[in-house]
Amino acid sequence: MTRSGWLVALSLLVSAAAIVVYTQFLHVAAIRNNPEGYLAAFAIAATIAGIAVAVGRRWYAWTTLAVVLVLLLGSATFNFVLARIPEAHTTLRVGERPPDFTLTDADGRPVSLAEYRGKKPVVLVFYRGYW
Amino acid sequence: MGELQGLGAALSEAEKAGVEIIAVSPDPNARSHEMAQRLRLAYRFVADSDLAVTRRYGLVHARGGEHGEDVPTPTTVVLDRDGIVRWLWIADNFQVRPDPDDVLQAVRAL
Repeated sequence: MTRSGWLVALSLLVSAAAIVVYTQFLHVAAIRNNPEGYLAAFAIAATIAGIAVAVGRRWYAWTTLAVVLVLLLGSATFNFVLARIPEAHTTLRVGERPPDFTLTDADGRPVSLAEYRGKKPVVLVFYRGYW
Repeated sequence: MGELQGLGAALSEAEKAGVEIIAVSPDPNARSHEMAQRLRLAYRFVADSDLAVTRRYGLVHARGGEHGEDVPTPTTVVLDRDGIVRWLWIADNFQVRPDPDDVLQAVRAL
């Protein structure tokens, strides 16, 4: 295999590893909470593909560079634009008591914050309902 | 649901009994209930179907859903026994969730 070929293989390997790690280990807080990790991996893969093009201007080196650049730009757009949440104008303040609420749980029983007052701390998690 | 699983795993049995975890989402109850059983955790899943509570708390991410609907901004709040907010985490990127260890630390610090 040519030197360019080895570099192409390495570039694709780094890209594939980033995709596998990020999709399969999303439950690991350190991976989930650092999406910059996959961006860095794609940037490294693009650099390697760029070197592959420089050392041997083969069609497969150009193709790999194009593919990896699409991955890099796509994931950067996703992370910096699509996944951004505008700043929430929350009424919650540390040191203050939020207004009480009553909602029903999965069994149809009412749940309110007031029922825990003086009894238990509460961890309140707002989530989207999917992933 | 990653953050819920992580938090459940990080808490000991005694701590699970000593703290109530209330998970609020616009999801219909049936789906949340199914999720509670799958995770086998002592969570209380409550439905805020019209986002009334989420809105009152100022946590709506307008048109942030998969189909352009309003959704909650992922948020975790630790309240002490008196119902006072002691720790607050609000997402600014929907890929990111609070580290369960940080939430646990906030609970233990009460």
